Amino acid sequence: MKKIKIIAGISWAFFGLILIIILFPGLNSYSVSVSKLPFMKLNPRYSGGEIAKRIVTDRCTLDIRKPVFNGFIKERNNGFVQLDWRGNISELINDSIDYDQDGIKDFNISVDRKNSKTVLNPINSKVKDVIISTRTSYGWAVRVGIKKQL
Amino acid sequence: MVNDLKIAGTRKSLGKSLLYTLPMFLITFLFITGGRPNFSDPSSAIAVLTAFLLVNVLYFLMHFTGKTDRYRAVLFIIFALSLSYTLIHNMLEVRNSMSFSQADILECKIPFCHLVIPMMILPAVFTKSIIFPGSILNGFANISTMIVLWLVATLVLGRGFCSWGCFYGGWDDGFSRFGKKPLIKRIDGLWKWMPFAVLMMVMLTAALSMMPTYCSWICPFKAVTEFEQVTSVESATKAGIFLSLFGGLVIALPIMTKKRTQCSFLCPLGAINTLSNKITPFMIKIDKNACNECFKCVETCPLYALTRDDIKEGKVSMFCSKCGKCVDACSKNAIHYGIKGVPAGTLKNFSRNLFLFVSFLFMAIFSAGSIIASFQGLLKLIF
Ligand code: SF4
Repeated sequence: MKKIKIIAGISWAFFGLILIIILFPGLNSYSVSVSKLPFMKLNPRYSGGEIAKRIVTDRCTLDIRKPVFNGFIKERNNGFVQLDWRGNISELINDSIDYDQDGIKDFNISVDRKNSKTVLNPINSKVKDVIISTRTSYGWAVRVGIKKQL
Repeated sequence: MVNDLKIAGTRKSLGKSLLYTLPMFLITFLFITGGRPNFSDPSSAIAVLTAFLLVNVLYFLMHFTGKTDRYRAVLFIIFALSLSYTLIHNMLEVRNSMSFSQADILECKIPFCHLVIPMMILPAVFTKSIIFPGSILNGFANISTMIVLWLVATLVLGRGFCSWGCFYGGWDDGFSRFGKKPLIKRIDGLWKWMPFAVLMMVMLTAALSMMPTYCSWICPFKAVTEFEQVTSVESATKAGIFLSLFGGLVIALPIMTKKRTQCSFLCPLGAINTLSNKITPFMIKIDKNACNECFKCVETCPLYALTRDDIKEGKVSMFCSKCGKCVDACSKNAIHYGIKGVPAGTLKNFSRNLFLFVSFLFMAIFSAGSIIASFQGLLKLIF
C-alpha cells in the first residue's frame, strides 16, 4: 500500500511537470478550446446584447440591440437597450427609435457629440433615462434604461 | 554549525548546480527569446537578455545556496512591480490616465485577471455566460487564456499559485520583508479563514448583481493597476476603498506584522487555491525525527499556515503556499518540500528539485512578458 502511494504520488508529480511544460507552447490552442465551452460568452449586460436591427444610411450605420433584462435566475424589470452608431457620424445625432420592433417609435434621442450632451425624449412610458452615452472606437454608443413592465 | 548542516542538505556544488540549471536555461531560452533572439532592436534585445539571465541566475542560486524563498521572492516581487508598471504605462500611453473609461467597459476591453474567477462561477453555471467586460479570446489578458493559466497552475501547485504565479502577491510579500522585527506580533490565526467568508460574499453578491463585485468594490490592487474614472460619488467611494485597502492590507500591516496580510485575510482566489492544495502533488512536509520543535518555521511563515500544534502533529495546513520561507529557516532540514504519498523525511532533495523546476518554470515564463516590457520601458527612460 505504501509503495503504491509513493508511486502514485511521484507519477502525479511528474504529470504536473508535463502539464507545466506543455502549458505554454499549447496555450493558444487550449485557450481556443476553453473559449468554445458553452458558458464562455459574455453576458448581454456586458456585450450589450444581440443586434436586433441594423439601419444603414449612406453615411453611417445604426445598430439597435435587443433589450437586455438578464438577471441571475430570472429576468429583471429594469434593463437597457444599446444603440451603436458607426461610420461617418454627424456631430449632431438625432434619431427616433423603435426598440421593441412593434412599428411604433419608443423614444427620440439626440446626441451633441462635440459637447457630449445627450437628450432623451421618451414616447413609450417604459423608457426611463440615459445610462451611458459615450464616444467609442467605432463611433458612439448609448444605453437607454427601460422597464420590462410598468 | 547547525546552519551549515542544514545547508549541506540542499545546496549543491557549482557543477551540479549548473547541471540542474541547464534544463531551465534551455526551456526559458526557447520561451523568453523565442529561440531566435532579435538583435535588430537593441533595447528589446537587452531587455530580453536581462530577463532571461535574471531568471536563470536566480534558479541557479536556489540550487547553489540551497535557499528557496530568498530567490523566489526576488522574481515574485519583480513580477508584481513590472506587471503594474506595464499596465499603468500602457494606460497612460493609450488613455493618458490610470483609469478606464465607460467606452472601454462598453467595448469589453478590460484586461481579465484571475481574481475574477470566483465571481464568474455561479453566473456561468446558472446563466451560461461570463459577467466581465473583457474579451473571451482576443487581446492582452483575455478571459480564456487567463482561465487556462490559472487552472493548470492551481491544479499542479495548489496554493503555490499564491507564491509562484500570482502577479499581485509580490506586493505584500515585498512589504512584509521591510524591517527586522514585527511591530505587531500576535494576530489570531482564525483570521486566515476570512478569505473563505470573502469568497462566499463575493460569489453571492456577484451572482445577484451580475457584476464582479470584488473588482468593482474591494480589490486593493486596483490602486496599482487600473480603476474606473472618478466621475461620481460612487466611483470616488470605490477609489477610496481601493486605496485604503492597499495602504492598510498591502503596505502598512505587512510591514508591521511581517506577514502577507492581503493574501492571508482577504483574497477570495486564495481561498480556492487553498482548497486545491488538497489535490496538488507537491506539499511541505515535516520530518518529525529531525525536528527539535524550535518553532522558527511557525514564526517565519508569512501566511499563518503553520501552528505549534501542526508541528507537533507533523503536518502542514492547507493554507501553505509552498513559498519555502520555513524551509529556509529550519536549521535541521526537518521541514522540507515533499510529494504526496511519499513519507516525510524521504526523497527530500528529489522532491525539492522537482517542485522547484515545475514552480519556477511556471513563474519564469508567466512573468517574462511583463518583466521584458518593464525593462524596455526603463531602458527608454534612461537612454
Ligand atoms: S508553511 Fe512554509 S512554505 Fe508554507 S506558506 Fe508557510 S512559510 Fe511558506
